[in-house]
Amino acid sequence: MAFFDIKGLVNPLSTLKQFGNKPHTVEYPKKHKETADRYRGLHFNDLEACIGCGNCSTICMNEAIDMIHLDNIEGSEGDSGLRPRVDNGRCCWCALCVEVCPTGSLNMTKQDIFISSDADAFLWTPGVSNPEGKDILSFTSDEKTSLSLFDRVPMPEMEGEERVKSFAETMLYYTEEAAREEASRCISCSLCTEVCPDHMHIPEYINAIARGEDEDSIRIIYDNNPLGEMCGKVCTRRCEDVCALQVRGDAVAIRWLKEYAMSRAETADILKEIVNPDIQPANGKKIGIVGGGPAGLTAGYYLALKGFDVTIFEANEYAGGMVMYGIPKYRLPMDSLNKQIDYMKSIGVKIQFNTKVGKDISFDDIYKNHDAVFVGVGFQKPYNIGIDGEEANGVIPAVSLLFDVNSGKTPDLGHKVVVIGGGNVAIDGARVSRRLGSEVVIMYRRRVEDMPADWEEIEGAEVEAVDIMPQTIPIEIISDENNKVTGIKYLKAEMKADAGGGRPRPVPIEGSEAIMEVSTVIGAIGQEADYSFLSDEYMNKIEINRGRMVVNDQQQTKDPKIFAGGDAVNRTADAISAIADGYRAVKAIEKWLMK
Amino acid sequence: MTDISLEKEQKIADELERTFPNLTARVRRARRVMASLEKELIPSVLVHAKDNLGFHHLSHMSVVDWIEDEHFEMVYTLWNHEKRVQLTIKTMISRDNATMANIDTIWRQANTYQREMREMFGIEFPGFVGEKDFLLEDWDEMPPMRRDFDTMEYANKTYFSRPGREDAQDVRDTISKRNGEEVPDFAKKYSREK
Repeated sequence: MAFFDIKGLVNPLSTLKQFGNKPHTVEYPKKHKETADRYRGLHFNDLEACIGCGNCSTICMNEAIDMIHLDNIEGSEGDSGLRPRVDNGRCCWCALCVEVCPTGSLNMTKQDIFISSDADAFLWTPGVSNPEGKDILSFTSDEKTSLSLFDRVPMPEMEGEERVKSFAETMLYYTEEAAREEASRCISCSLCTEVCPDHMHIPEYINAIARGEDEDSIRIIYDNNPLGEMCGKVCTRRCEDVCALQVRGDAVAIRWLKEYAMSRAETADILKEIVNPDIQPANGKKIGIVGGGPAGLTAGYYLALKGFDVTIFEANEYAGGMVMYGIPKYRLPMDSLNKQIDYMKSIGVKIQFNTKVGKDISFDDIYKNHDAVFVGVGFQKPYNIGIDGEEANGVIPAVSLLFDVNSGKTPDLGHKVVVIGGGNVAIDGARVSRRLGSEVVIMYRRRVEDMPADWEEIEGAEVEAVDIMPQTIPIEIISDENNKVTGIKYLKAEMKADAGGGRPRPVPIEGSEAIMEVSTVIGAIGQEADYSFLSDEYMNKIEINRGRMVVNDQQQTKDPKIFAGGDAVNRTADAISAIADGYRAVKAIEKWLMK
Repeated sequence: MTDISLEKEQKIADELERTFPNLTARVRRARRVMASLEKELIPSVLVHAKDNLGFHHLSHMSVVDWIEDEHFEMVYTLWNHEKRVQLTIKTMISRDNATMANIDTIWRQANTYQREMREMFGIEFPGFVGEKDFLLEDWDEMPPMRRDFDTMEYANKTYFSRPGREDAQDVRDTISKRNGEEVPDFAKKYSREK
């Protein structure tokens, strides 16, 4: 061995070649390995997106999830106001809660470590306890990976060309198989029951259909709605707007499912056998009902079940009011409505047809001969369009047209009809005019998306080749020397933001004036109530504010003996609101008379 | 482009059907062949596939619980490295007294799978030697992967509910209370389970 060993000096330096390499030893500060792509760590809930449906809590097989009230979250339409809290001590990280979350608000994060010596610290409200979790989401659900069934079972419909040939129903409705499949999509969260004006027991009757118990479904519907089949066909179905599945997919077809269940009872007799109502013995109290529309019929039906002697005074040949005379038969056939009314008559509701209150019988008589009176007269009188030339022949209010057609008449509208308005009545007027053989144009002041009509009705009109002209303001109706309508003068409009923060307003464009040749003008811009049947004495007793009767939360007017409901009372003015009013009045009348 | 004719796959399927008359085989797609047959022939088919058809590798073993039909479906997945074909062999066995031939003499790794199947589904393999416990310790309940095992009942029986959870609300009750909706008693059986 040499005295001066060069190797001994140089060799240790060879370790320097490792200088740039990544160390295999533990690094400080400690670095975590990146978790797998779909790692299921602690939960994170987007509290804004969550609607509190509770599906996560229901699916959890470890009962680790509770729904709780949080201080800063209030319930509202389409939100239960509850939020999930997870007991991480019970959670097994299966992530089913994430996969069934209809909104996608509940997710799992990359956070895989949580240490605490306090056992209570494992009770977490995701999103509140870990707001930073939103940046480290890992296991999420999208429309493809979610276990929610987002696609609605399609509704079979008649072809557009076939439709306009007759007044046959355009919807062909669900078969049994389709209805069971559609009903099975419901997660039974019950958010829908809140926005239903009548608070129908929606998850229960849908679940009954899913389980194949159609008769139970009918009984549940009849618990607080005696016109279920009518609603199944034409309801404004606000329930579907808040369906938990609608957030990322299609709402459950609540309306069509109700139609399916109710159509199982083909006649009034079968309906009576299925509903098999518990009719109380007569209690000796008499109730008079003015108007046989949805509100009056509902009040009459449930009052009769409670043993009251009920008489409905109906001006027309058939009961049903606006749903009989205002809704075209291709949406609601007469037989369907009559079946429901025949059943009501069979349990003791008396209806005096062709009896107009104020003409054939005075309101005073009804008031004096009954222990309580329910007024459900609706909005019958159409508003004027409010433009020049309106008094010409060939200008018809939509409700009058619908009344005539539903009474069996076939008015001649000429070759071209213009309908003014954008609500359901306007669409009904347009689609009926198509069936009478005319070309039809709808003029609406705002955009199509602003139309208050049901989107399915608008689509229906489009399929039937109704031409919708949005942002069009009619200014004058032109007629010939015989005072017969020949045309309509209109302006195009542009949408301008409203300074007051309201919805955008249509502002006429200067110089856009044009004339369209038409043979008939149909006005559908709203209706009001006709109180001519009330004498001054009663007008003073019942307070009327801006055309509506003022009632308390029990449907009672300022005269405690008079109750009221329907379009002439509520602001929503649809059939289901009228039914809700009638049902509420029943409870109030019973409480008031039977105290 | 790879060869999209399914010739090699069809040859394997035909060969299997020829050798075992009660076996049905079909080509699912390129590189995937599926065969199903009765339980008794499983060891013979596996040995034949391994020794004569080149499926040297057992990739996976699995069980499906078809509770409605009262069957378990045993699934064996084999791989032929040379031909790059996967062969899936399936058979149904009765759900009561579920027994299946032990195949860890053909592939040693089957031992681990069979221990798992015994523990999770309760399938017995006569003559099979393996540690009794696999993942569960001292388990004397129904095997937990069987579909009739009630996870919720087990969780509630085994783990106490932590204090501090008494403020939990029911969504249905919260909403109906807010609106004054009275759900009739006869309808409540259709409400969501609490």
